[in-house]
Amino acid sequence: MIVAERKPMDEILEMLAPYKKVLVLACGSCVTVCLTGGEKQAEELASMLNLAARAKGLDLHADFDCITRQCDREFIENLTKQPADYDAVLSIACGVGVGFMSELFPDTPFLPGLNTTFYGANVADGVWAEYCHGCGDCVLAWTGGICPIARCSKSLLNGSCGGTNQGKCEVDPDMDCAWLKIYQRLESLGQLDNLRKLRPPKDWSKDRGKGVRRLTHKELSELES
Amino acid sequence: MIDGDLTTRDLARLKSTAELMAREWAPCRNGCPVHADVRAYLQCIAEGDWRAAIDVIREQLPFAAVCGRVCHHPCEDNCRRQDVDERVAIRELKRFVAETQGATGCTVNKPKKQDKARVAVIGAGPAGLSAALELAKLGYRPTVFEKASVAGGIPATTIPRYRLPLEVVRIDVDWICAHGVEIVTGVEIGKGKTIARLRGDGFEAVVIATGLASSRSLPIPNADHKDVHLVLDFLQAVSAGEAPNVGQNVLVIGGGNVAMDAARSAVRLGAKTVRAMCLENEEEMPAWSWEQEEARDEGVEFIHRRGPVEIIVKDGKIVGMKARRVTRVFNEQKKFDPQYDDSDVIDVACDTVIFAIGQMADLGFIEGGELAAERGRLTYTAATHETSVAGVFACGEIVTPPGSVVEACASGRRCAKAVDQFLSGKSIQIDDSTPPVIDTIPEATAEKVLKVDRVTVPTDAAEKRKTNFEQFEHTLDEAAVLREARRCMGCGGGAEVIVDKCAACLTCLRVCPFDIPVVTDVARIESDKCQACGICIAECPANAIVPRSRAVDELVRRTAAALAKTPKGKKIIAYIGGFRCTADEWMGRSEPIPGVAELYHASTSRLGVPELLHALEAGADGVVVVSCPDGTDRYPTTATRTKKRVEQARELLGEIGLSPEKVQLAETADKGRDAVREAIREAVVKITEE
Ligand SMILES: Cc1cc2nc3c(=O)[nH]c(=O)nc-3n(C[C@H](O)[C@H](O)[C@H](O)COP(=O)(O)OP(=O)(O)OC[C@H]3O[C@@H](n4cnc5c(N)ncnc54)[C@H](O)[C@@H]3O)c2cc1C
Ligand code: SF4
Ligand code: SF4
Ligand code: SF4
Repeated sequence: MIVAERKPMDEILEMLAPYKKVLVLACGSCVTVCLTGGEKQAEELASMLNLAARAKGLDLHADFDCITRQCDREFIENLTKQPADYDAVLSIACGVGVGFMSELFPDTPFLPGLNTTFYGANVADGVWAEYCHGCGDCVLAWTGGICPIARCSKSLLNGSCGGTNQGKCEVDPDMDCAWLKIYQRLESLGQLDNLRKLRPPKDWSKDRGKGVRRLTHKELSELES
Repeated sequence: MIDGDLTTRDLARLKSTAELMAREWAPCRNGCPVHADVRAYLQCIAEGDWRAAIDVIREQLPFAAVCGRVCHHPCEDNCRRQDVDERVAIRELKRFVAETQGATGCTVNKPKKQDKARVAVIGAGPAGLSAALELAKLGYRPTVFEKASVAGGIPATTIPRYRLPLEVVRIDVDWICAHGVEIVTGVEIGKGKTIARLRGDGFEAVVIATGLASSRSLPIPNADHKDVHLVLDFLQAVSAGEAPNVGQNVLVIGGGNVAMDAARSAVRLGAKTVRAMCLENEEEMPAWSWEQEEARDEGVEFIHRRGPVEIIVKDGKIVGMKARRVTRVFNEQKKFDPQYDDSDVIDVACDTVIFAIGQMADLGFIEGGELAAERGRLTYTAATHETSVAGVFACGEIVTPPGSVVEACASGRRCAKAVDQFLSGKSIQIDDSTPPVIDTIPEATAEKVLKVDRVTVPTDAAEKRKTNFEQFEHTLDEAAVLREARRCMGCGGGAEVIVDKCAACLTCLRVCPFDIPVVTDVARIESDKCQACGICIAECPANAIVPRSRAVDELVRRTAAALAKTPKGKKIIAYIGGFRCTADEWMGRSEPIPGVAELYHASTSRLGVPELLHALEAGADGVVVVSCPDGTDRYPTTATRTKKRVEQARELLGEIGLSPEKVQLAETADKGRDAVREAIREAVVKITEE
């Protein structure tokens, strides 16, 4: 799932400075689940904007709305408020939603209310952690299910660096060294042999190297074209 | 009503989520013959709003004050709270509000125009008056003819005053009359004025609601002796203050509630020995267990499984009753079919006999008319209330099996619908369907509900009460009333998931202190488990959960209204968890704190971060949240949740450069008015200092 965090209010207020009437638009999927971009957060954010506007004497008014996903065009039918009626939309979807909605509503500025941070899982009540980087060439089969791209600060492929220290990463002493975890996991699986194999340099063109990535399911896309 | 899953589109069709209450009923409501909205009125009482409560009751139950005293309370028997600790004392709560408000303290919904047909109602008992009231509300002009000198039927003339003072009956009768119901007392239909004549006098329909006006007797030797009383005549004479002679040694024949009334009245009239003899054994006796117990406490003795054979008279005086042994009362099909052993006959000494073996219809009103009757009962169609004559209807005990006041009211109300359809030229079709009833509370949930003892009704000791006809059970005091009403779990008023909004995020499952939600495809909250604390509603990131028992924006609207009323200057909103607060506090009658609008609700568990921000948005300069500490609130984890939400709201304010001090928390809602006042005052100082 995509995880995102709300941008600092100062930044949001600065972004919105040119606009008077703003719609805060929530997304009912990933960002609802990680409690940052759901309808309730949109409601709170709209309130905060209205309170800030009053306190700072700004000519700004915010409403809120929510659709199931901002990354599918059909759901815009469920909007109860129309972007065209606003000077700008502050989308609290992930970057995908902001970008996609911008395409669908070319006449209305869509601004990001969140910073899209990672693909993560819910590790404890109210806590999410990164698990995947979306590199386009998955290695989890031989790393015991632990992603060295996402969870090693340096995305190393052939074991830990020299900065590993008592199981922690030199980049952040609070962070586990992914390679120690991989080692321990493989050991318990009896698959330490996986590490004897030298891994060639990764094909990063499958990551972002060749520009915008795309998925096409021929069987459906042909029907539609 | 919406069936199955609730969607955004369904919600858009509703005026308020409160309409969702019609999806399922609590068993208390279902069990009540008139289907009074028990949960709703108990909530009003819990909030100290007696007026709103009695209005909700009277919506369905015209004999609210009478039932507050004498109802056999099937609502209570069905109350789900019995699986937690004990049933809610619903009847006592009804008694309190009905008598506190009297006839004038409840709303009268008399239509502006009452120009529809005139309808004659015969009999001013619960059934007749209920029918007349409904007809008046529909714009008809009902006139009720009553043979007795007072209106109210059996409750006014016969039920002993120690259980039901006449003033209490008058409350209901006066309120009913205020709707344009005309009552003519002292007129017996059949004698002089016949039904045929009534119709000639311009009454377009007639409702017969004459009840069971005669007592049954037994064709045994000496049954006509002057010291043999028939129960209705006896009780009516007692109620009229005539103190009939009961001698020293009374034998009441019968084991029902009416027999108990006769026996206990005989005790109060000064009889030395009072015995009740019945065919049934203790378990089979139809009298309510509490009636038997109270009678026993007052010295009434019971002779079970004996049937009367002959009243023994010597020198013109009754000296005893010959009674044979009963071998069985009911046959295999559980039908009443007593069998006797004539070889086992005893003499029971007595000087007075009261027959309390049942009542029957007095069909005197049929005289001179065309109404048909069979085996002593008026011919009638239960589905439509029609008799054999078009335009003549019947309701109440004249046609139904003997029952209770509330059942007679239900019958009367239903009959009014039939009369209305008839007079509107429609075919008579009455929809008796009711919503499904919510199930019993599962043990795992019941365990987590805060236990609170059921109130005990202040009652005079038997020695004191048996010497007079004064009421011996007393009305609860206000504190007891609030505490008891707050025991109601508000069944069926809990959370509903809007399935198309739910993101299956699992938050509700994680925060619910009762472990109710499960997330399958989306979150599922079972109504028989949900305790309506509202914690999940306040936390759901998708705003995908709504309460059934209140409008989603209820608090926001109340806040706006309160702010509008607060005088100019600094305006502070105080949200107070009212589980331990007084009626004066809830109702805004306690001494106000200048500049502060106090808003009470069942628990701060329902107060979300958006609401705190909305209050400021609506113009409040600050918000004070006063919660009950954990363990004293009605819901677990409330204090902890409330604290976290206040902290979050304060952080958000800090982020936009407003002072976090605008939102304050005090955990003193359980400590009484002075502590609450003091806490709010301190919080106001912090808010205004910033
Ligand atoms: C002693 C006793 C105790 C009871 N205790 C309880 C109790 O504690 N709780 C409870 O719920 N129920 C109790 N009941 C039952 C309850 O009173 C009845 O179920 C209820 O009153 C029936 O209502 P009704 O309107 O059908 O008839 P009634 O109450 O009998 O009213 C009928 C009215 O019609 C009048 N009438 C009859 N014939 C004519 C005529 N020809 N012309 C004009 N008027 C006429 C009668 O005078 C009477 O006022 C008790 C009944 C009795 C007898
Ligand atoms: S707890 Fe309240 S709502 Fe539930 S059954 Fe009892 S009286 Fe009715
Ligand atoms: S908290 Fe709301 S969105 Fe999350 S699972 Fe429950 S109902 Fe669904
Ligand atoms: S949190 Fe409260 S309202 Fe929600 S499901 Fe649990 S008991 Fe019901």
